[in-house]
Parts: sequence; C-alpha cells; structure tokens
Amino acid sequence: MIYLDYSATTPVSFEVLDTFNRTTKDFIGNPNSLHKLGVKSLDLITSATKQIADICNVMPREIIYTYSATEANNLALIGVMLANHHQGKHLITSKLEHPSIYKICDYLTSIGFEVSYVDNDQDGLIDFDHLKKLVRDDTVLVSICSVNSETGVRQPLKMIRQIIKKENNNTLLHSDFTQAIGKVPVNFNDVDLASLSGHKFFCPKGIGMLYRNDKVKIKPLIYGSGKTNELHPGTPSVALIASFAKALRIALTDIEKRERFVTRLNEKLVKEFSIHKDIQINQTKYSIPHILNISLNNIKPETFIHALEEKDIYVGTNTACASGDLSTSVMAIYNDKKRATSTIRISISHLTTSDEINQFINVFNVVYQDLNNLTTKEG
Amino acid sequence: MEKIIIIKYGELTTKKDNINYFIRILNDNVKKALSLFNVSIVYDKGRMFIESNDGNFDQIVSKLTKVFGIHEIMVGYKLNNRNIDIIGNNVVDLLKNISFDTFKVITKRSDKTYELDSMEVSRKIGGYILKNIKDVKVDVHQPEQEIYIEIRKNDVYIYFEKIKGIGGYPVGTLGKGLLMLSGGIDSPVAGYLAMKRGIKIETLYFESPPHTSLNAKNKVLELANILSRYGGSIKVHVINFTNIQEEIYKNIPHEYLITIMRRMMYRISTKIAHRINAHVLINGESVGQVASQTLTSMEVINEVTTIPVIRPVACFDKLEIIDVAKKIDTYETSILPYEDCCTIFVPDHPVINPQLEKCVEYEKLIDYESLINEAVKNHEVIKIGEGNKYQDLL
Repeated sequence: MIYLDYSATTPVSFEVLDTFNRTTKDFIGNPNSLHKLGVKSLDLITSATKQIADICNVMPREIIYTYSATEANNLALIGVMLANHHQGKHLITSKLEHPSIYKICDYLTSIGFEVSYVDNDQDGLIDFDHLKKLVRDDTVLVSICSVNSETGVRQPLKMIRQIIKKENNNTLLHSDFTQAIGKVPVNFNDVDLASLSGHKFFCPKGIGMLYRNDKVKIKPLIYGSGKTNELHPGTPSVALIASFAKALRIALTDIEKRERFVTRLNEKLVKEFSIHKDIQINQTKYSIPHILNISLNNIKPETFIHALEEKDIYVGTNTACASGDLSTSVMAIYNDKKRATSTIRISISHLTTSDEINQFINVFNVVYQDLNNLTTKEG
Repeated sequence: MEKIIIIKYGELTTKKDNINYFIRILNDNVKKALSLFNVSIVYDKGRMFIESNDGNFDQIVSKLTKVFGIHEIMVGYKLNNRNIDIIGNNVVDLLKNISFDTFKVITKRSDKTYELDSMEVSRKIGGYILKNIKDVKVDVHQPEQEIYIEIRKNDVYIYFEKIKGIGGYPVGTLGKGLLMLSGGIDSPVAGYLAMKRGIKIETLYFESPPHTSLNAKNKVLELANILSRYGGSIKVHVINFTNIQEEIYKNIPHEYLITIMRRMMYRISTKIAHRINAHVLINGESVGQVASQTLTSMEVINEVTTIPVIRPVACFDKLEIIDVAKKIDTYETSILPYEDCCTIFVPDHPVINPQLEKCVEYEKLIDYESLINEAVKNHEVIKIGEGNKYQDLL
C-alpha cells in the first residue's frame, strides 16, 4: 500500500498506540473521583496538559480538549461571538478555510451575526489592504487558517494579527492550525485562539484541542459538571489526552529536518507532473511541501482516485471533508472552474519514502495516460 | 544567514574575579533548561549564543526567560559577511515579514576597525529600508520598529527586539538552602526569591495522612515542579507528620498547638538541612500574617535552631506576595482547596505572644525526640523536574 493522503488523516503511530493501550488499562479511575484511582487519572491528565502547554508555549489553563478540530472551531467561533456580542456582531474569515468554518458562519449568520470574507491574491495570500478595510469597530473575531488544507498555502499570522490589532485592538484572531501542526513551526502566541486535531499527527481519532488565550471570553456550547474542563464538560478520556500529548511532542521534534526531507519529495513530484501539459499544479510560493494539489482537467478526479486505489495507492480529492464538491480554495486562488473541479491532493509526510514516490510516479503516469487517452477519444 | 539567540548577562558582570565561575554555571543552567531542544550553545565573557536545529525559537526564548542570571534575550540573525550592501539587503528581506510605519536603526560596533562608524552604518541601512520598503518613515524618538545592527570582528548580528530576562544570579552559584514548602501562596514565592539570588533549593513538605490527602501532596509536588522551571530539578523531602501532630493534639494545651507544631517542624527541617548540606532554611513566613508569625512567635519558634533562616517575603504585604505568585505561575495551584497539615488542627484561639518557658514545659509532655528521629529516618525523597514523571507514557 502507498498512502499519500496524510492531510486527510494519519495512521496511529506505534508509540502513541502503546500509550493509548497502557493508559486505558492502567488508569481506570474517573479523574473527578476523590479516591486514589481518581487522583491518579487526574494527575496524568494534568501532566499531559502541562507537557502540551510547555511545548506550545502557552499556559495549561488555556488548553481545552475537544472531540475534533471541527468542534474546536465551533467553540472558538460561536463561543467567542456569543460571549462578546455586546462588543459587536461582526466576524471576518477568508475564502481558504476548512468547510467547517463556512458551516459555522452560515449558522452565525442565521442567528443575526454578520460575516465578511476577505479576498486573497494570486498566490493565495490574504489581501492585507482588503483585510484592513474590513476590520470595523464591531469586529469581534477574525478566523484565518494557518495552512490551507487543499493547496497548502500558509498565511503569515503574525503580520495578519498586527494588521488587525492596528485597526481594532479588541478584535481577536482565531486560526485553524490543523494542517500546520507537526508539519511547519507554528507560534501559538501569534493568535488568540487556535484549533488542532490529533489524528493529523499520528494520534487516534476522537480528540482535538482549542487553545484559548486566558484573556479571551468564551461561552460554553455544552453544559455539565467536571472540574477538568469547564468549556468541555463530561468525563474526559485519559487515554486520548495522554496519546494526544505524546503524539504532539513527537510531531514537534525535528520539524525542520522533516520539512527539508518532505520538500525534496515534493520537488520530485512537481518535476514529474510538469511533464504533462494538461496538468496544472496548484502550488504557490507560499505552499508548504506536504500538500500538493494538481488539476487533471480532462479526467474526473473520482475516476482517477479509484483507478489509483486499484493499484493500492491512496490520494485525496480536495479535502476529505468536502469531497465531491468544487475545490473552493483552488477556485479562490485561480478563479477557474474547470481547474477547481478536477483537483486531486497528494499529501505526504516524513514517513513517505523516496521509493514510494517513485512507484507512485510510475503508476500515476500509466493511469494518467490510459484515462487521458480515453477522455480525449470520447471528447 | 542563520537565526540565532543572543543572551546578555545580568548582574554577573560586577563579579570581577568570579565571573568565569558564574558564567559556567549559567551555561550549565541554560543547557538544562533547553534539554528538550536540539541546540548548540557557545559563550564568551560578554554574551552567550544559541543556535537551534528545530526552529522553535519562541519556546526556547520562553524557557530562557525563566533562567536566572540572564539580563536580555535577543532573537536575531547572524551574517558572516560584513559588506554594508549585503547587510542592507538582508535587513530589508527580514523586514518584509513585519508590518510597521516608523523605524530607527541602532548600530553597535564592537570592532572599531570596521570601515564605517556606527552612525554611518545606521544611516546607510536606514537609506536601504526607505528605498526598498514602501510607506515607512524614520522616527528616532518613538519608532514603532527598532532595528539593531551589531558589527563584530567576523560577523554581523541583526535583531529587532530585546526581550527582558529575569535577572538575578545563576541558581547554584551561592550554594544550597532548604525550603519549607507548605502548599500555600507564600512559600513558593519565598523559594522563587531565594533562587533568584543564586540559591539552589531542596524542599521539605509535611504530610499528615489520612488528615491530608494525596491531592494535597500532588499539589505541593506540582508547586515544586513549577519552581523547577526556574532552577532545574528539585528534591522534595516528604515527612510523615501524622504521629507527631496527633501526639501534640492529644497532650498539649490547644492554644500552644501551632507554636509547638512549628517548633517541631523547625527541628525536623534543621536535621534534614544538615543531612543535605544546606546552609540555610527558607520559608514563606510573613510578619504578622497569622498567630505563629508575630515577632514573639517567630522568636520562640526560631529558638530551636541555630541554622540561619531566610524569610524572603517577611516584609511583603499579602497582595505583593500574590502578585509575585501570579507572575511565576504558582498562584493557581496554591489556591487549590486541599487541606494541609497547618490547617487541620487549628485551635480557636492560638496564642499570639507565646512564652518560651511554657513551650519547653509543654514539650516535656511528649517524647518528641524519638518521634522526630523516626520521621526523619523514614522520610521519602521525590525528585521533581527531571523530565515528566510519566515520561514513558507521554
């Protein structure tokens, strides 16, 4: 099997699975219980949270565990807008976000909030002048993802925040870090809120995280008891939290070395795809090397993916969360419908080998020739 | 061009004869603080330079702001070429990632043989910026962005921001002390202040199970863990105080409970201090805060030991102590509501002006010597801050 869909999800690493299994077996107490078994579970959660806080350079109380990054996005956007509605009802986001952000914005619009969408340039970078114009006195929150899930375009969050704060010092910046974490260095202190998802960095599915700066007011979306997490009440999963802490620690080690390795693989793929004149490479100078998006133009992406699947090779369409639709990000950058409806996404990681890339290229070329001939004949 | 962290030493530069000793210990402490990171450290008499292979400079800086003996931290870039045009191009490149309207260039030239003087360098670099970045102006009084250029013998350092270090002396340069750590707000602050003056600390905690819980003990271990961020690993000596406390409660007139209990604690602390070669006891007593901290109480309690007792927060107001506790991040943990051994047997009316003769007389009612010896003999030592205690899991 050749897996090239790491941006959709990653396999659980052996070390993390080991933590998951041992914690499940050995930490049976409810962290809210008063007795020794409860204290032991609470202690492990506290240590895990502290470790995460330490490597992310934030405070333990600024970490909220969620089910997924989607839930973290919900808590960030809805929670902040509801808690700060006296300050205003205006929210800004970009055209390069994860689908969950748009669904949340639709909901917020339906209950009386106002959403603006900031433009981006040909390289996928946020249009700073437009952003400057959009920020108003009643703008509560700006949500811009760190790395776009479809094209890998990375935004300069520090600068974006400077621009926002200059226009309105009370406006907060949220960023979905899901596609960035573990791939490129991120700085939590560049934003007020950030969403993370464990399964993108070799942790089991079912755990995400919201970083929320201590000063940010947020309204819970669910209510209950439990001292471990007032914004996400209920008995926490000790095993998932421990796994998350371990996976994150591993993901942030040697990040630059891994990035250099992935860059070489990316360059190899780009060189190979460039040979085919009908393939467009949707990569700008701001794209991270882990995500490579291409448009096949004459071939339906679904057909292509299934053809590769027959050879035991797995790649993605735009994002796993919006498969089948037009790629909104490719559309936002290139404004070309054909290009945006024929994309596939090859996402690689430091676990990908040169050998896998070579094999993939061979199969790709054969499959591409076959399907391309077919469509051209039909056409 | 390499990204690099530059450290300026604090008060150390006044230690003429011992400066090498101080810097060497600082270097060890920095190494320990950054043990999680893949870094290389070099130093001379004036500066320390850190290069990272992981690129996580923010995390590294955050760790460094907790190392005593550091005055200033700069994250900058090292350029191996001193050609003015190359410096200019690089500065312009770096500034493209920063948004600002006004700026000022500040040049320092430690190599006086360099062809241009500091003013000329600043002017030339300023010119480059004005020519290449649109809509920016020079403002020498209140610039939004300061640009620092340091010309050294073989290379040039460029940086845009100075981060204040924590100051003080490197932990360990002044020897060892034993901190009496209770779990309240004051004692962690006392420990922090002692470390700030270069004292390496070990801590002592009295537990009274089942009157005190495992949560209370974990809270103290957590406080030690937070303190360890400032001074490396910390040993926590845990004394089981249950027998002594129950004996006192059963036999001693209740108005003297606290006074006698504190005298016992001091006796035990002194024994532990001698064992570990600590030269001083450190605690969080603050004059007048509670009955055992009146001047007469302190005198009567202190009478049992000859070892010097440092009370760093003795003359702080409670609010001042809380301010420090919040700053060093112990406050949230300190206020967790678990009973400690000082709060479980509290008399309604503790004596405010205890008399030494009465203490001596009352203490004859219990066989405290053997109880103390037993407690010291059986005490538990926990090492904190050497990696996570769940290292194998996390």
